[in-house]
Amino acid sequence: MSDAPAIEVDHLTKKYGGFTAVDDLSLTIEHGEIFGFLGPNGAGKSTTIRTILDLLRPTSGACRVVGLDSRADAVAIRRQVGFLPADLALYPNLTGRRTIQYFANLRGGVEWARVEALAERFGAELDRKVGEYSSGNRQKIGLILAFMHSPRVVILDEPITGLDPLVQLEFHTLMREHAHAGNTVFLSSHTLSEVERVADRVGFIRRGRLIAVERMSELHEKSLRRVTMEFPQPVPASAFEGVEGVHDAVAEGTTVTARYEGAMAPLLGVAARNGVASLTTASVDLDELFLEYYRESEPTGGAAA
Amino acid sequence: MLRTVYLKSLRDHLTGVGVAVLALFLTAWLGLWAYTGVEGADSYIASMPDAFVDLLGITRESGTAGLMMSMMFGFMGAFVIGGLAVSFGASAIAGEEHDGTMNVLASVPRSRGRLFASKCAAYLTLIAAASFAATASYWLAASIAGSDISSLRLWAATVHLTAVLLVYGTLAFATGAATGNPAMASGIATALLVVSFLGAGLLPLFDGWENVAKIFPWHYIDGTSPLVNGVNWAQVAILAAASAVLLAAGAAAFVRRDMRSGASSASLADRLRANPRTARLAEAWRGSGSTGGLLSKAISDKQGVAALAAYGLFVLTVVMGPLFNALHASLGNVVASMPDAVLAMVGFADYSTPTGWYHGEVLSITGPAVFAIVTIGAGLALATEERARTISVLLSMPVTRSRVAGAKLGALLMLAVLCVALLFGGIWLGSVIGGLGIGVANIAAAAALQAGLALVFGTVAFAVAGFTGNSRAAAWIATAVALAGWAINTFVGVNPGLDWLAALSPFHWALSNAPLDNGMNWTGLAVLLGASGVLAIGGLLAYGKRDLRG
Repeated sequence: MSDAPAIEVDHLTKKYGGFTAVDDLSLTIEHGEIFGFLGPNGAGKSTTIRTILDLLRPTSGACRVVGLDSRADAVAIRRQVGFLPADLALYPNLTGRRTIQYFANLRGGVEWARVEALAERFGAELDRKVGEYSSGNRQKIGLILAFMHSPRVVILDEPITGLDPLVQLEFHTLMREHAHAGNTVFLSSHTLSEVERVADRVGFIRRGRLIAVERMSELHEKSLRRVTMEFPQPVPASAFEGVEGVHDAVAEGTTVTARYEGAMAPLLGVAARNGVASLTTASVDLDELFLEYYRESEPTGGAAA
Repeated sequence: MLRTVYLKSLRDHLTGVGVAVLALFLTAWLGLWAYTGVEGADSYIASMPDAFVDLLGITRESGTAGLMMSMMFGFMGAFVIGGLAVSFGASAIAGEEHDGTMNVLASVPRSRGRLFASKCAAYLTLIAAASFAATASYWLAASIAGSDISSLRLWAATVHLTAVLLVYGTLAFATGAATGNPAMASGIATALLVVSFLGAGLLPLFDGWENVAKIFPWHYIDGTSPLVNGVNWAQVAILAAASAVLLAAGAAAFVRRDMRSGASSASLADRLRANPRTARLAEAWRGSGSTGGLLSKAISDKQGVAALAAYGLFVLTVVMGPLFNALHASLGNVVASMPDAVLAMVGFADYSTPTGWYHGEVLSITGPAVFAIVTIGAGLALATEERARTISVLLSMPVTRSRVAGAKLGALLMLAVLCVALLFGGIWLGSVIGGLGIGVANIAAAAALQAGLALVFGTVAFAVAGFTGNSRAAAWIATAVALAGWAINTFVGVNPGLDWLAALSPFHWALSNAPLDNGMNWTGLAVLLGASGVLAIGGLLAYGKRDLRG
């Protein structure tokens, strides 16, 4: 069992009547990874997660966590998993402390010192009623519940909702520490910058289908960069047509902007020949790349990591 | 007035009004149909003494149909539409704040005054419509059953009923508007409604207290017998003025106060705990093990309601012992002169005996009503976790679904046992204090059968929650089963030819052998526990198999 991947989703399909929420989705996540799960609203992210946790039952296919089947071994899985649901709901009449005590009692084996340490780290208030909390404070309780037992796998569904930037930073640090210790973080989000900051790999889901899984480092390498060049006199955009790696050149007066990938030398050669006065480059925002995935008219089919 | 707010508020509650009117129609039709089969009842009513006809507030010619109409206006209809009035009133403004939707609603460029007026108009329209539609349904039921009610002034009684119920509903509306707290609004109005019902019904039985009953609005539902005498416009005007004053006070407070956002208001228990003088009492009330585990939390979640209901029932049943001694002389003379069938129809049972007194007052209605509130609440708690979306975190812990459902079922069982134990203790103590001599074994038998009844109500809610995850459906269906069971047993049970139909009611199995007189009905207990067991197992199995909401 120890050789089994942290999470395996095997040809998972979930239908509600005629509507297919998740369509033949397969995915493997290894130990020690932070896996970003990206998709627009209604793409099937939460459905996939809720099926992994046995809150929903697959129409077909299966989910496994550390080799355990999500249906047959649901309780054993939950011993090893920490979960923060999207739009977290807790008992409004309990204080934060009582809430954590309740779930710690149910889970068993939770060290209160760990809870205290997490609470201090996030600046969580534990002595007021959950119903009186702001969404950020409630989310801090949810994060403590997800991490308090040092689980082998943490599944987080839109975790930074309501958190201020400082707490977000602390949370990202915690995620990295947790992964470095050999544990796995499954991070579902549509906040692209968050995933970009912490994830090792990222999966894109759209209309219930997994359309791509990429290693984040490769994604950065693959990504296009933007260049802005100033010339002493107007240069036509056509001067850059056919230049290796250059796309979408646009000329406006003495300024030419373009996007490029790979080596810069061919671009620099054309620019130098036209007497370029200045040149600035910038990475294309990863958001733009993700949006390109989503904009594709047809999904390319399920992909397995 | 804001037309869109008005129309949306109407639409939100139309289903509730429709269900209530349908339930009242079915009850009226069922009763009229069953009564027509009781031989000699009409002629008995026609020959009753004037005092008793006056007491019922009907005409001699209307016979058993008049009796049924008197019950619909004075009891069933009054409680059902009164419940709607309080529910709509409490939720009209305070409900929007509790749900957090007031944040959006209050951000539109319209004044609070207009918002208040729109909500108020919708509330008044709904309650008036419910009241008049219910009366129309009684006409229909009488036509179908072939009953002659032409000598009764149904519309006059409707005017009185509406004016009275609007006082309670408006109290809820105004309190909700003034505080933003729907629980407080419905709690205060419901408490006044129940106290009024008891006060208006019981105080006239004591010499010298007749006039005190007139301080309760409930008295004016049939205080001047509008079914016979028509509308007393002076009374209606006073009731309407009381409602208007409440609305004015509510409006004045609403336009001045801060808006609430979400269910962050502290409960009464929380307020008591926060106060150093009441903290110890509140902690004792709440219990200390609320987060110790699934079962203890499931119990403590319902502990406040259960304790209030069970201790209230205990006090009531104790007091009823000496109360019997105070009343039975006057009741006995009236009751002794009436045929059994008519006694059953007016719900008197045999009030001339202590066992009949407890049977009619406690076992037939008050006890089951209290148990229904407690056990239906406990049964639907399974679906409440889904509605509140707390189930997502709860089931990320290493616990099985059957453990979660089993804890809810365990809480339901324990709360039912608590209520019934206090019922047993209350009747026993009341009997001892009053020197009534009711046998302990018979009290235990009655309590056991009531426990069976309570478990049926609760497990219906549990089963619906297990199958659907819909707490509202669980509450509605379980309440409908309880009400239908009561109506069938009460109205159909008076006609011996319809015993087969009465057997469909759980009340029949709990009450038909008069356990305080005759001891345990083992068949009845087996039917009730068997039905509860099947419902509980069905709910458990269904909960384990389906997708969970939230």
